[in-house]
Amino acid sequence: MRIGIVCPYSFDVPGGVQNHVRDLAETLIALGHHVSVLAPGDEESGEQPYVVPAGRAVPVPYNGSVARVSFGLISATRVRRWMAAGRFDVLHVHEPLIPSLSMLAVLSARGPVVATFHTAMTRSRALAAAQGLLQLVLEKITGRIAVSELARKVQVEHLGGSAWEIPNGVQVSRYRTAVPLPGWPGPGGTLGFLGRFTEPRKGFPFLLQAFATLARSRPDLRLLVAGPGDVDEVMADFPDISPYRDRIVFLGKVSEEDKARMLRSVDLYIAPNTGGESFGMILTEAMSAGTTVVASDLDAFRRVLDGGRAGALFPVGDSAALASTIGGLLDDPTRRAALAARATEVVAAYDWPVVAERVLEVYSTVIEVAGAVVEQPVP
Amino acid sequence: MWWVITVVAVVVLVATYLTWLAARVDRLHARAVAAYATLDAHLLRRAVVAVSLAEAAQLPTLVYAARIAVDAQPEDREVAENDLTRHLRDAHEDAAVPEPELSGLVQVSRRVALARQVHNDVVRDALAVRRRLLVRLFRLARKHPRPAYFDVDDPSLS
Repeated sequence: MRIGIVCPYSFDVPGGVQNHVRDLAETLIALGHHVSVLAPGDEESGEQPYVVPAGRAVPVPYNGSVARVSFGLISATRVRRWMAAGRFDVLHVHEPLIPSLSMLAVLSARGPVVATFHTAMTRSRALAAAQGLLQLVLEKITGRIAVSELARKVQVEHLGGSAWEIPNGVQVSRYRTAVPLPGWPGPGGTLGFLGRFTEPRKGFPFLLQAFATLARSRPDLRLLVAGPGDVDEVMADFPDISPYRDRIVFLGKVSEEDKARMLRSVDLYIAPNTGGESFGMILTEAMSAGTTVVASDLDAFRRVLDGGRAGALFPVGDSAALASTIGGLLDDPTRRAALAARATEVVAAYDWPVVAERVLEVYSTVIEVAGAVVEQPVP
Repeated sequence: MWWVITVVAVVVLVATYLTWLAARVDRLHARAVAAYATLDAHLLRRAVVAVSLAEAAQLPTLVYAARIAVDAQPEDREVAENDLTRHLRDAHEDAAVPEPELSGLVQVSRRVALARQVHNDVVRDALAVRRRLLVRLFRLARKHPRPAYFDVDDPSLS
Protein backbone atom coordinates (compact mmCIF):
# COMPACT_ATOMS: atom_id res chain seq x y z
CA MET A 1 0.00 0.00 0.00
CA ARG A 2 1.26 3.54 -0.72
CA ILE A 3 0.76 5.60 2.42
CA GLY A 4 1.29 9.35 2.86
CA ILE A 5 1.59 10.51 6.47
CA VAL A 6 1.57 14.16 7.55
CA CYS A 7 3.13 15.17 10.88
CA PRO A 8 2.31 18.73 11.96
CA TYR A 9 5.38 19.14 14.19
CA SER A 10 9.01 19.29 13.20
CA PHE A 11 11.17 16.23 13.87
CA ASP A 12 13.93 18.59 15.05
CA VAL A 13 12.20 18.77 18.44
CA PRO A 14 11.24 15.57 20.27
CA GLY A 15 7.60 15.07 21.15
CA GLY A 16 4.87 12.50 21.59
CA VAL A 17 3.26 13.02 18.18
CA GLN A 18 6.62 12.93 16.37
CA ASN A 19 7.61 9.68 18.14
CA HIS A 20 4.23 8.18 17.28
CA VAL A 21 4.56 9.11 13.60
CA ARG A 22 8.14 7.82 13.42
CA ASP A 23 7.31 4.47 15.03
CA LEU A 24 4.17 4.04 12.92
CA ALA A 25 6.06 4.85 9.70
CA GLU A 26 8.92 2.49 10.54
CA THR A 27 6.55 -0.33 11.51
CA LEU A 28 4.54 0.07 8.29
CA ILE A 29 7.75 0.08 6.23
CA ALA A 30 8.86 -3.11 8.02
CA LEU A 31 5.49 -4.66 7.08
CA GLY A 32 6.34 -3.97 3.42
CA HIS A 33 4.38 -0.79 2.72
CA HIS A 34 5.59 2.30 0.92
CA VAL A 35 5.52 5.22 3.37
CA SER A 36 6.35 8.90 2.92
CA VAL A 37 6.12 11.32 5.86
CA LEU A 38 5.71 15.06 5.27
CA ALA A 39 6.85 17.20 8.21
CA PRO A 40 8.04 20.77 8.80
CA GLY A 41 11.78 21.17 8.50
CA ASP A 42 14.53 22.61 6.35
CA GLU A 43 16.60 19.73 5.18
CA GLU A 44 16.45 16.01 4.71
CA SER A 45 17.94 13.95 7.51
CA GLY A 46 19.90 10.79 6.90
CA GLU A 47 18.35 9.15 9.93
CA GLN A 48 14.78 9.14 8.60
CA PRO A 49 15.01 8.77 4.81
CA TYR A 50 11.22 8.48 4.54
CA VAL A 51 10.68 12.05 5.87
CA VAL A 52 10.10 14.79 3.29
CA PRO A 53 10.81 18.29 4.70
CA ALA A 54 8.12 20.86 3.95
CA GLY A 55 10.00 24.04 4.83
CA ARG A 56 10.75 26.07 7.91
CA ALA A 57 8.59 25.67 10.98
CA VAL A 58 7.47 28.68 12.98
CA PRO A 59 6.83 28.54 16.73
CA VAL A 60 3.15 29.05 17.56
CA PRO A 61 1.80 29.10 21.10
CA TYR A 62 -0.88 26.44 21.29
CA ASN A 63 -2.80 24.66 24.06
CA GLY A 64 -0.45 25.81 26.79
CA SER A 65 2.83 25.05 25.02
CA VAL A 66 4.78 26.09 21.97
CA ALA A 67 4.33 24.09 18.80
CA ARG A 68 6.52 24.42 15.73
CA VAL A 69 4.24 24.26 12.71
CA SER A 70 4.21 25.27 9.05
CA PHE A 71 1.20 27.03 7.61
CA GLY A 72 0.93 29.33 4.62
CA LEU A 73 0.90 29.59 0.85
CA ILE A 74 4.38 28.12 0.32
CA SER A 75 3.59 25.19 2.61
CA ALA A 76 0.28 24.66 0.78
CA THR A 77 2.13 24.42 -2.53
CA ARG A 78 4.62 21.93 -1.09
CA VAL A 79 1.82 19.81 0.36
CA ARG A 80 0.08 19.64 -3.02
CA ARG A 81 3.32 18.82 -4.82
CA TRP A 82 4.11 16.03 -2.32
CA MET A 83 0.64 14.53 -2.70
CA ALA A 84 0.79 14.68 -6.50
CA ALA A 85 4.20 13.01 -6.58
CA GLY A 86 3.31 10.39 -3.96
CA ARG A 87 0.16 8.94 -5.65
CA PHE A 88 -0.92 7.62 -2.24
CA ASP A 89 -3.64 5.04 -1.72
CA VAL A 90 -4.41 6.67 1.59
CA LEU A 91 -3.49 9.93 3.32
CA HIS A 92 -3.01 9.75 7.09
CA VAL A 93 -2.80 13.10 8.88
CA HIS A 94 -2.08 13.72 12.56
CA GLU A 95 -3.75 16.48 14.61
CA PRO A 96 -5.57 18.06 11.64
CA LEU A 97 -7.54 20.56 13.72
CA ILE A 98 -4.64 22.90 14.43
CA PRO A 99 -3.48 25.24 11.63
CA SER A 100 -0.68 23.10 10.25
CA LEU A 101 0.56 21.01 7.34
CA SER A 102 -2.02 18.41 8.37
CA MET A 103 -4.90 20.83 7.93
CA LEU A 104 -3.52 22.03 4.58
CA ALA A 105 -3.17 18.44 3.42
CA VAL A 106 -6.74 17.57 4.37
CA LEU A 107 -8.15 20.67 2.67
CA SER A 108 -6.41 19.93 -0.62
CA ALA A 109 -6.90 16.15 -0.52
CA ARG A 110 -9.29 14.14 -2.66
CA GLY A 111 -9.80 10.51 -1.83
CA PRO A 112 -9.37 8.40 1.30
CA VAL A 113 -8.20 10.42 4.31
CA VAL A 114 -7.55 9.08 7.82
CA ALA A 115 -6.80 11.34 10.79
CA THR A 116 -5.43 10.60 14.25
CA PHE A 117 -6.36 12.87 17.15
CA HIS A 118 -3.76 12.84 19.91
CA THR A 119 -4.45 15.59 22.40
CA ALA A 120 -7.43 16.02 24.56
CA MET A 121 -8.01 19.62 23.46
CA THR A 122 -9.95 21.87 25.74
CA ARG A 123 -12.80 23.72 24.13
CA SER A 124 -11.51 27.16 23.33
CA ARG A 125 -13.01 30.32 21.90
CA ALA A 126 -10.76 29.96 18.86
CA LEU A 127 -12.11 26.46 18.31
CA ALA A 128 -15.71 27.66 18.54
CA ALA A 129 -15.07 30.60 16.18
CA ALA A 130 -13.50 28.34 13.59
CA GLN A 131 -16.31 25.75 13.75
CA GLY A 132 -17.22 26.32 10.08
CA LEU A 133 -13.66 25.75 8.90
CA LEU A 134 -13.18 22.77 11.21
CA GLN A 135 -16.37 21.20 9.84
CA LEU A 136 -14.89 21.51 6.32
CA VAL A 137 -11.74 19.77 7.53
CA LEU A 138 -13.64 17.03 9.38
CA GLU A 139 -15.89 16.40 6.39
CA LYS A 140 -12.92 15.37 4.28
CA ILE A 141 -11.77 12.83 6.87
CA THR A 142 -13.41 9.45 6.46
CA GLY A 143 -11.50 7.51 9.12
CA ARG A 144 -11.10 9.19 12.51
CA ILE A 145 -8.79 7.63 15.10
CA ALA A 146 -8.30 8.69 18.73
CA VAL A 147 -5.32 7.41 20.72
CA SER A 148 -7.14 7.42 24.04
CA GLU A 149 -10.58 7.35 25.57
CA LEU A 150 -10.09 11.01 26.59
CA ALA A 151 -9.15 12.14 23.07
CA ARG A 152 -12.20 10.24 21.82
CA LYS A 153 -14.48 11.98 24.32
CA VAL A 154 -13.25 15.37 23.06
CA GLN A 155 -14.30 14.33 19.58
CA VAL A 156 -17.74 13.35 20.79
CA GLU A 157 -18.43 16.26 23.09
CA HIS A 158 -16.76 19.23 21.42
CA LEU A 159 -16.81 18.46 17.74
CA GLY A 160 -20.02 16.47 17.45
CA GLY A 161 -18.21 13.55 15.87
CA SER A 162 -16.80 10.32 17.16
CA ALA A 163 -13.63 8.35 16.69
CA TRP A 164 -12.27 4.82 16.54
CA GLU A 165 -9.98 4.14 19.46
CA ILE A 166 -6.55 2.68 18.71
CA PRO A 167 -4.06 3.01 21.58
CA ASN A 168 -0.62 4.51 21.27
CA GLY A 169 1.89 1.87 20.25
CA VAL A 170 5.13 0.97 22.02
CA GLN A 171 8.23 -0.72 20.58
CA VAL A 172 8.22 -3.58 23.07
CA SER A 173 11.46 -5.17 21.84
CA ARG A 174 13.40 -1.89 22.19
CA TYR A 175 12.61 -1.85 25.91
CA ARG A 176 12.84 -5.59 26.49
CA THR A 177 16.38 -5.78 25.14
CA ALA A 178 17.75 -2.57 26.69
CA VAL A 179 20.81 -3.03 28.92
CA PRO A 180 20.50 -1.63 32.48
CA LEU A 181 22.71 1.34 33.35
CA PRO A 182 25.98 0.22 35.01
CA GLY A 183 25.60 -0.30 38.76
CA TRP A 184 21.79 -0.47 38.75
CA PRO A 185 19.42 -1.62 40.18
CA GLY A 186 21.72 -2.72 43.03
CA PRO A 187 21.00 -5.11 45.91
CA GLY A 188 18.89 -2.86 48.13
CA GLY A 189 16.12 -2.19 45.64
CA THR A 190 15.58 0.76 43.31
CA LEU A 191 12.52 2.87 42.57
CA GLY A 192 12.20 4.76 39.28
CA PHE A 193 10.43 7.90 38.12
CA LEU A 194 10.51 9.56 34.71
CA GLY A 195 9.02 12.90 33.68
CA ARG A 196 8.91 16.62 34.48
CA PHE A 197 9.13 16.24 38.25
CA THR A 198 8.39 19.93 38.88
CA GLU A 199 4.98 19.66 37.20
CA PRO A 200 2.35 19.24 39.95
CA ARG A 201 0.19 16.79 37.94
CA LYS A 202 3.08 14.31 37.81
CA GLY A 203 2.79 13.92 41.61
CA PHE A 204 6.53 13.61 42.25
CA PRO A 205 6.27 15.04 45.82
CA PHE A 206 4.12 12.03 46.83
CA LEU A 207 6.88 9.72 45.73
CA LEU A 208 9.49 11.77 47.65
CA GLN A 209 7.32 11.60 50.76
CA ALA A 210 6.94 7.83 50.41
CA PHE A 211 10.66 7.46 49.75
CA ALA A 212 11.50 9.39 52.94
CA THR A 213 9.29 6.97 54.93
CA LEU A 214 10.80 3.86 53.33
CA ALA A 215 14.43 5.06 53.35
CA ARG A 216 14.42 5.24 57.15
CA SER A 217 14.06 1.46 57.53
CA ARG A 218 15.75 0.39 54.26
CA PRO A 219 19.33 1.63 54.22
CA ASP A 220 20.11 0.51 50.66
CA LEU A 221 16.93 1.63 48.90
CA ARG A 222 17.65 4.08 46.06
CA LEU A 223 15.59 6.31 43.77
CA LEU A 224 16.47 6.92 40.12
CA VAL A 225 14.84 9.94 38.47
CA ALA A 226 14.99 10.97 34.80
CA GLY A 227 13.49 14.08 33.25
CA PRO A 228 14.01 17.81 32.96
CA GLY A 229 13.57 20.16 35.93
CA ASP A 230 15.32 22.13 38.67
CA VAL A 231 16.50 19.58 41.26
CA ASP A 232 17.32 22.10 44.02
CA GLU A 233 13.92 23.72 43.70
CA VAL A 234 12.03 20.45 44.22
CA MET A 235 14.34 19.29 47.04
CA ALA A 236 14.05 22.61 48.92
CA ASP A 237 10.36 21.86 49.56
CA PHE A 238 11.28 18.60 51.30
CA PRO A 239 13.53 19.06 54.34
CA ASP A 240 12.63 15.47 55.47
CA ILE A 241 14.47 14.07 52.52
CA SER A 242 17.87 15.76 53.10
CA PRO A 243 19.41 12.82 55.07
CA TYR A 244 18.68 10.53 52.12
CA ARG A 245 19.60 13.01 49.37
CA ASP A 246 22.68 10.98 48.30
CA ARG A 247 20.42 7.97 47.58
CA ILE A 248 18.43 9.89 44.98
CA VAL A 249 20.08 10.10 41.56
CA PHE A 250 18.84 12.60 38.98
CA LEU A 251 19.81 11.77 35.40
CA GLY A 252 18.32 14.94 33.87
CA LYS A 253 16.79 14.84 30.41
CA VAL A 254 17.54 11.47 28.78
CA SER A 255 17.65 10.22 25.18
CA GLU A 256 15.18 7.60 23.93
CA GLU A 257 17.86 4.93 24.32
CA ASP A 258 18.74 5.94 27.88
CA LYS A 259 15.05 6.09 28.75
CA ALA A 260 14.75 2.39 27.86
CA ARG A 261 17.93 1.58 29.81
CA MET A 262 16.68 3.61 32.81
CA LEU A 263 13.41 1.66 32.87
CA ARG A 264 15.39 -1.61 32.90
CA SER A 265 17.53 -0.28 35.78
CA VAL A 266 14.79 -0.14 38.42
CA ASP A 267 12.88 -2.76 40.42
CA LEU A 268 9.69 -0.74 40.59
CA TYR A 269 8.48 2.04 38.32
CA ILE A 270 6.33 4.57 40.19
CA ALA A 271 3.67 6.73 38.46
CA PRO A 272 2.20 8.94 41.23
CA ASN A 273 0.28 11.22 38.78
CA THR A 274 -2.68 13.13 40.15
CA GLY A 275 -4.48 13.54 36.83
CA GLY A 276 -4.25 14.96 33.34
CA GLU A 277 -2.84 11.75 31.94
CA SER A 278 -4.90 10.68 28.94
CA PHE A 279 -3.21 7.40 28.18
CA GLY A 280 -0.15 6.57 30.26
CA MET A 281 2.45 5.92 27.58
CA ILE A 282 5.18 5.67 30.23
CA LEU A 283 3.36 2.74 31.84
CA THR A 284 3.35 0.68 28.63
CA GLU A 285 7.04 1.51 28.24
CA ALA A 286 7.88 0.34 31.77
CA MET A 287 5.73 -2.76 31.25
CA SER A 288 7.64 -3.49 28.01
CA ALA A 289 10.90 -3.25 29.94
CA GLY A 290 9.58 -5.98 32.26
CA THR A 291 9.55 -3.63 35.24
CA THR A 292 6.76 -3.87 37.78
CA VAL A 293 4.61 -0.74 37.86
CA VAL A 294 3.05 1.02 40.85
CA ALA A 295 0.59 3.70 39.70
CA SER A 296 -2.11 6.07 40.95
CA ASP A 297 -5.59 4.67 40.63
CA LEU A 298 -6.55 6.93 37.66
CA ASP A 299 -9.02 5.69 35.02
CA ALA A 300 -6.40 5.73 32.28
CA PHE A 301 -3.86 3.86 34.41
CA ARG A 302 -6.37 1.30 35.66
CA ARG A 303 -7.28 0.48 32.05
CA VAL A 304 -3.67 -0.04 30.99
CA LEU A 305 -2.86 -2.04 34.14
CA ASP A 306 -5.79 -4.42 33.58
CA GLY A 307 -7.59 -3.27 36.73
CA GLY A 308 -4.53 -3.84 38.94
CA ARG A 309 -3.58 -7.32 37.68
CA ALA A 310 -0.69 -6.01 35.57
CA GLY A 311 0.62 -3.52 38.13
CA ALA A 312 -0.19 -2.28 41.63
CA LEU A 313 -2.58 0.66 42.12
CA PHE A 314 -2.74 3.02 45.09
CA PRO A 315 -5.24 5.82 45.95
CA VAL A 316 -4.39 9.07 44.12
CA GLY A 317 -2.28 11.46 46.23
CA ASP A 318 -1.93 9.12 49.24
CA SER A 319 1.80 8.90 49.97
CA ALA A 320 1.33 6.64 53.03
CA ALA A 321 -0.53 4.09 50.89
CA LEU A 322 2.15 4.45 48.22
CA ALA A 323 4.88 3.74 50.79
CA SER A 324 3.14 0.60 52.08
CA THR A 325 2.43 -0.63 48.52
CA ILE A 326 6.08 -0.19 47.57
CA GLY A 327 7.28 -1.80 50.82
CA GLY A 328 5.01 -4.80 50.31
CA LEU A 329 6.23 -5.33 46.75
CA LEU A 330 9.92 -4.93 47.66
CA ASP A 331 9.50 -7.72 50.24
CA ASP A 332 7.52 -9.98 47.90
CA PRO A 333 9.51 -10.80 44.73
CA THR A 334 6.98 -13.50 43.79
CA ARG A 335 4.09 -11.03 43.61
CA ARG A 336 6.31 -8.55 41.75
CA ALA A 337 7.18 -11.19 39.16
CA ALA A 338 3.50 -12.19 38.81
CA LEU A 339 2.49 -8.57 38.10
CA ALA A 340 5.33 -8.19 35.59
CA ALA A 341 4.35 -11.45 33.88
CA ARG A 342 0.74 -10.30 33.45
CA ALA A 343 2.07 -6.90 32.27
CA THR A 344 4.05 -8.64 29.54
CA GLU A 345 0.86 -10.33 28.30
CA VAL A 346 -1.12 -7.08 28.45
CA VAL A 347 1.50 -4.92 26.74
CA ALA A 348 1.64 -7.29 23.73
CA ALA A 349 -1.60 -5.64 22.58
CA TYR A 350 0.21 -2.28 22.52
CA ASP A 351 3.19 -3.52 20.54
CA TRP A 352 3.62 -1.46 17.34
CA PRO A 353 3.20 -4.34 14.86
CA VAL A 354 -0.17 -5.15 16.48
CA VAL A 355 -1.24 -1.49 16.65
CA ALA A 356 -0.13 -0.90 13.03
CA GLU A 357 -2.36 -3.79 11.89
CA ARG A 358 -5.30 -2.03 13.55
CA VAL A 359 -4.38 1.19 11.72
CA LEU A 360 -4.17 -0.76 8.44
CA GLU A 361 -7.74 -1.98 9.04
CA VAL A 362 -8.85 1.66 9.14
CA TYR A 363 -6.95 2.33 5.90
CA SER A 364 -8.71 -0.62 4.23
CA THR A 365 -12.12 0.57 5.37
CA VAL A 366 -11.68 4.13 4.07
CA ILE A 367 -10.28 2.82 0.80
CA GLU A 368 -13.34 0.57 0.46
CA VAL A 369 -15.59 3.58 1.08
CA ALA A 370 -13.71 5.75 -1.43
CA GLY A 371 -13.59 2.92 -3.96
CA ALA A 372 -17.34 2.56 -3.85
CA VAL A 373 -17.82 6.22 -4.83
CA VAL A 374 -18.45 6.79 -8.50
CA GLU A 375 -16.16 9.73 -9.26
CA GLN A 376 -18.15 12.26 -11.21
CA PRO A 377 -16.23 13.81 -14.11
CA VAL A 378 -15.42 17.46 -13.55
CA PRO A 379 -17.47 19.51 -16.06
CA MET B 1 -23.33 52.04 -14.30
CA TRP B 2 -21.65 51.04 -11.00
CA TRP B 3 -24.73 49.41 -9.62
CA VAL B 4 -24.86 47.12 -12.65
CA ILE B 5 -21.31 45.98 -11.97
CA THR B 6 -22.09 45.50 -8.28
CA VAL B 7 -25.20 43.44 -9.01
CA VAL B 8 -23.34 41.29 -11.55
CA ALA B 9 -20.49 40.73 -9.08
CA VAL B 10 -22.88 39.72 -6.28
CA VAL B 11 -24.78 37.35 -8.58
CA VAL B 12 -21.53 35.72 -9.74
CA LEU B 13 -20.33 35.30 -6.13
CA VAL B 14 -23.61 33.79 -4.93
CA ALA B 15 -23.79 31.48 -7.95
CA THR B 16 -20.20 30.29 -7.36
CA TYR B 17 -20.91 29.64 -3.69
CA LEU B 18 -24.12 27.75 -4.48
CA THR B 19 -22.36 25.61 -7.09
CA TRP B 20 -19.64 24.77 -4.58
CA LEU B 21 -22.23 24.02 -1.89
CA ALA B 22 -24.21 21.79 -4.26
CA ALA B 23 -21.05 19.83 -5.10
CA ARG B 24 -20.34 19.47 -1.38
CA VAL B 25 -23.87 18.18 -0.76
CA ASP B 26 -23.49 15.66 -3.59
CA ARG B 27 -20.09 14.53 -2.37
CA LEU B 28 -21.23 13.95 1.21
CA HIS B 29 -24.30 12.00 0.11
CA ALA B 30 -22.31 9.87 -2.33
CA ARG B 31 -19.90 9.05 0.49
CA ALA B 32 -22.74 8.11 2.85
CA VAL B 33 -24.06 5.68 0.20
CA ALA B 34 -20.56 4.25 -0.28
CA ALA B 35 -20.08 3.85 3.46
CA TYR B 36 -23.33 1.89 3.66
CA ALA B 37 -22.12 -0.40 0.86
CA THR B 38 -18.91 -1.01 2.84
CA LEU B 39 -20.83 -1.69 6.04
CA ASP B 40 -23.14 -4.05 4.14
CA ALA B 41 -20.13 -5.99 2.81
CA HIS B 42 -18.66 -6.39 6.30
CA LEU B 43 -22.01 -7.49 7.74
CA LEU B 44 -22.23 -10.15 5.03
CA ARG B 45 -18.70 -11.32 5.78
CA ARG B 46 -19.64 -11.59 9.44
CA ALA B 47 -22.71 -13.68 8.56
CA VAL B 48 -20.57 -16.03 6.46
CA VAL B 49 -18.07 -16.46 9.31
CA ALA B 50 -20.98 -17.03 11.71
CA VAL B 51 -22.42 -19.82 9.56
CA SER B 52 -19.11 -21.65 9.17
CA LEU B 53 -18.43 -21.31 12.89
CA ALA B 54 -21.95 -22.52 13.71
CA GLU B 55 -21.44 -25.59 11.55
CA ALA B 56 -18.05 -26.34 13.12
CA ALA B 57 -19.39 -25.99 16.66
CA GLN B 58 -22.89 -27.38 15.96
CA LEU B 59 -24.88 -24.33 16.99
CA PRO B 60 -28.11 -24.46 14.92
CA THR B 61 -29.63 -21.28 16.43
CA LEU B 62 -26.58 -19.32 15.27
CA VAL B 63 -27.16 -20.54 11.69
CA TYR B 64 -30.76 -19.26 11.84
CA ALA B 65 -29.70 -15.92 13.31
CA ALA B 66 -27.13 -15.43 10.54
CA ARG B 67 -29.65 -16.37 7.84
CA ILE B 68 -32.28 -14.00 9.25
CA ALA B 69 -29.70 -11.17 9.32
CA VAL B 70 -28.74 -11.76 5.69
CA ASP B 71 -32.37 -11.98 4.48
CA ALA B 72 -33.68 -9.07 6.57
CA GLN B 73 -35.52 -6.20 4.89
CA PRO B 74 -33.79 -2.83 5.38
CA GLU B 75 -36.27 -1.75 8.09
CA ASP B 76 -35.71 -4.97 10.10
CA ARG B 77 -31.99 -5.18 9.56
CA GLU B 78 -30.77 -3.41 12.71
CA VAL B 79 -32.83 -5.72 14.94
CA ALA B 80 -31.65 -8.82 13.06
CA GLU B 81 -28.00 -7.78 13.23
CA ASN B 82 -28.30 -7.06 16.95
CA ASP B 83 -29.74 -10.53 17.40
CA LEU B 84 -26.81 -12.02 15.49
CA THR B 85 -24.37 -10.02 17.67
CA ARG B 86 -25.97 -11.53 20.78
CA HIS B 87 -25.65 -15.06 19.41
CA LEU B 88 -22.04 -14.43 18.42
CA ARG B 89 -21.32 -13.13 21.91
CA ASP B 90 -22.64 -16.39 23.37
CA ALA B 91 -20.58 -18.39 20.88
CA HIS B 92 -17.52 -16.35 21.84
CA GLU B 93 -18.01 -17.38 25.48
CA ASP B 94 -18.68 -20.98 24.45
CA ALA B 95 -15.74 -23.27 25.24
CA ALA B 96 -16.73 -25.68 22.45
CA VAL B 97 -15.83 -23.23 19.69
CA PRO B 98 -12.33 -23.96 18.31
CA GLU B 99 -9.63 -21.27 18.59
CA PRO B 100 -8.91 -20.40 14.92
CA GLU B 101 -12.64 -19.78 14.26
CA LEU B 102 -12.77 -17.65 17.40
CA SER B 103 -10.00 -15.25 16.40
CA GLY B 104 -11.49 -14.94 12.90
CA LEU B 105 -14.80 -14.06 14.52
CA VAL B 106 -13.22 -11.37 16.71
CA GLN B 107 -11.52 -9.81 13.69
CA VAL B 108 -14.58 -9.81 11.44
CA SER B 109 -16.67 -8.33 14.27
CA ARG B 110 -14.13 -5.56 14.79
CA ARG B 111 -14.29 -4.74 11.08
CA VAL B 112 -18.09 -4.49 11.34
CA ALA B 113 -17.72 -2.13 14.32
CA LEU B 114 -15.22 -0.01 12.40
CA ALA B 115 -17.39 0.13 9.27
CA ARG B 116 -20.38 1.13 11.40
CA GLN B 117 -18.34 3.88 13.04
CA VAL B 118 -17.18 5.26 9.67
CA HIS B 119 -20.71 4.99 8.26
CA ASN B 120 -22.28 6.88 11.14
CA ASP B 121 -19.60 9.58 10.97
CA VAL B 122 -20.19 10.27 7.27
CA VAL B 123 -23.96 10.15 7.77
CA ARG B 124 -23.58 12.77 10.50
CA ASP B 125 -21.67 15.02 8.05
CA ALA B 126 -24.34 14.57 5.36
CA LEU B 127 -27.17 15.33 7.81
CA ALA B 128 -25.30 18.43 9.03
CA VAL B 129 -25.00 19.86 5.53
CA ARG B 130 -28.71 19.14 4.88
CA ARG B 131 -29.57 21.38 7.84
CA ARG B 132 -27.83 24.44 6.37
CA LEU B 133 -30.17 27.31 5.50
CA LEU B 134 -29.08 27.72 1.88
CA VAL B 135 -29.23 23.98 1.27
CA ARG B 136 -32.85 23.93 2.47
CA LEU B 137 -33.76 27.19 0.70
CA PHE B 138 -32.49 26.03 -2.69
CA ARG B 139 -33.37 22.38 -2.00
CA LEU B 140 -29.86 21.31 -2.97
CA ALA B 141 -30.33 17.88 -1.37
CA ARG B 142 -33.63 17.08 -3.13
CA LYS B 143 -32.24 14.37 -5.40
CA HIS B 144 -30.65 12.47 -2.49
CA PRO B 145 -32.64 10.32 -0.07
CA ARG B 146 -32.03 11.28 3.53
CA PRO B 147 -29.21 9.07 4.92
CA ALA B 148 -29.88 7.31 8.23
CA TYR B 149 -27.61 6.16 11.04
CA PHE B 150 -27.12 2.41 11.37
CA ASP B 151 -28.24 2.14 14.95
CA VAL B 152 -27.01 -1.14 16.46
CA ASP B 153 -25.30 -2.25 19.67
CA ASP B 154 -21.51 -2.35 19.62
CA PRO B 155 -20.78 -5.44 17.51
CA SER B 156 -17.17 -5.85 18.65
CA LEU B 157 -16.16 -8.86 20.74
CA SER B 158 -13.05 -8.75 22.87
